[in-house]
Amino acid sequence: MKLKNGFVLREVCGEKVIVGEGAETVNFGKLISLNETAAVLWNKALELGNFTVEQLADALTEEYEVNREQALSDVKKLTEGWQEAGLVES
Amino acid sequence: MKEIYYKVAGHVFALETVGNESIELDLWQYEPFVTDPTDDVVFRLKLSSTPIDMDNFNMEVVQEDEGQSINAGHIDEHPCFQFFLHGKLKGVLLCSKDYQQGEIYAEDCNLFGVNNALMVMYALATSNKLTALFHSSVVSYRDRAYMFLGPSGTGKSTHSKLWLQYIEGTELVNDDNPVVRILNDGTIWVYGSPWSGKTHCYRNVSYPLGAIVLLAQAPANIIRRLKPIEAYAALMMSISGKRWDSRLAEGLHETENLIATHAPMWHLDCLPDEEAARVCCETVVS
Repeated sequence: MKLKNGFVLREVCGEKVIVGEGAETVNFGKLISLNETAAVLWNKALELGNFTVEQLADALTEEYEVNREQALSDVKKLTEGWQEAGLVES
Repeated sequence: MKEIYYKVAGHVFALETVGNESIELDLWQYEPFVTDPTDDVVFRLKLSSTPIDMDNFNMEVVQEDEGQSINAGHIDEHPCFQFFLHGKLKGVLLCSKDYQQGEIYAEDCNLFGVNNALMVMYALATSNKLTALFHSSVVSYRDRAYMFLGPSGTGKSTHSKLWLQYIEGTELVNDDNPVVRILNDGTIWVYGSPWSGKTHCYRNVSYPLGAIVLLAQAPANIIRRLKPIEAYAALMMSISGKRWDSRLAEGLHETENLIATHAPMWHLDCLPDEEAARVCCETVVS
């Protein structure tokens, strides 16, 4: 999957937030809050372009003390949330 | 050719008129903002008498609101905007890449086209100057400005009217398009402008910001503080700009983030009644 164009990670009053700022997303009409870990994974996904749950889980286990099984489950849940919010495309 | 200079929220811009047309007769709403000629302008707009060739127009975004719409796009490298009123094309604005020069073709120099071009140019040229053109109705009370935000049809103007009617000492600053500017010392100021929607309120006045209130229609009057993220979202929705141009988005974000961080911002569930104005005033005026 891939992050859609036009979404930008911003720091708003100290919190990490996804904002629609592209021609195709400027009327997105909502903000999506990310916690620190989700923000790290968002940047990783951006860097990868096309990414998989497995790749992000790898990144998660490298950055944080979490076992692979847990990482896979967390990333799966997170990316499902992104899909639901319309932030990613396949 | 004739040039007229205007100063809005401390930023000067120039309007160049062609030929002999007597359009200055129509520009009375700008008169309180006339200033001395200077080279230090944020943009220049030229009224053109030649239609703009739209063959190579590439559309980027359509923005619609209450019978008005703007088609934003570009012709080659040049940002271009079409202004429609009830589906009828009223003007075309073509800008330089840095948004400092513009040319508007509006049939019969109609004011709708010229107003829209000046507002768009103003918003674009000041995006990186800690300045924002708002969609808001604003009143002054005890030497501070109180701004009411909300989607079209929420009752921003109605709420201002309730303050004017029931809270003594209130005055209308602007009913639709005030400007907010953060000065070097960090203070946030609200300015009247030559644009005010359907209400003829074109006052060249400024006040320190007292509070910003996001309105929502509801069966009861209830007020609460907005969380910082909610405040930022309310500002994004209320500030005009070309957010999809990443150069301008940075400036808009900086302004919005500073306001969301430092300004008292509230959410008011309200009825269109006296109690709404009183509850609001008693809570937000410190």
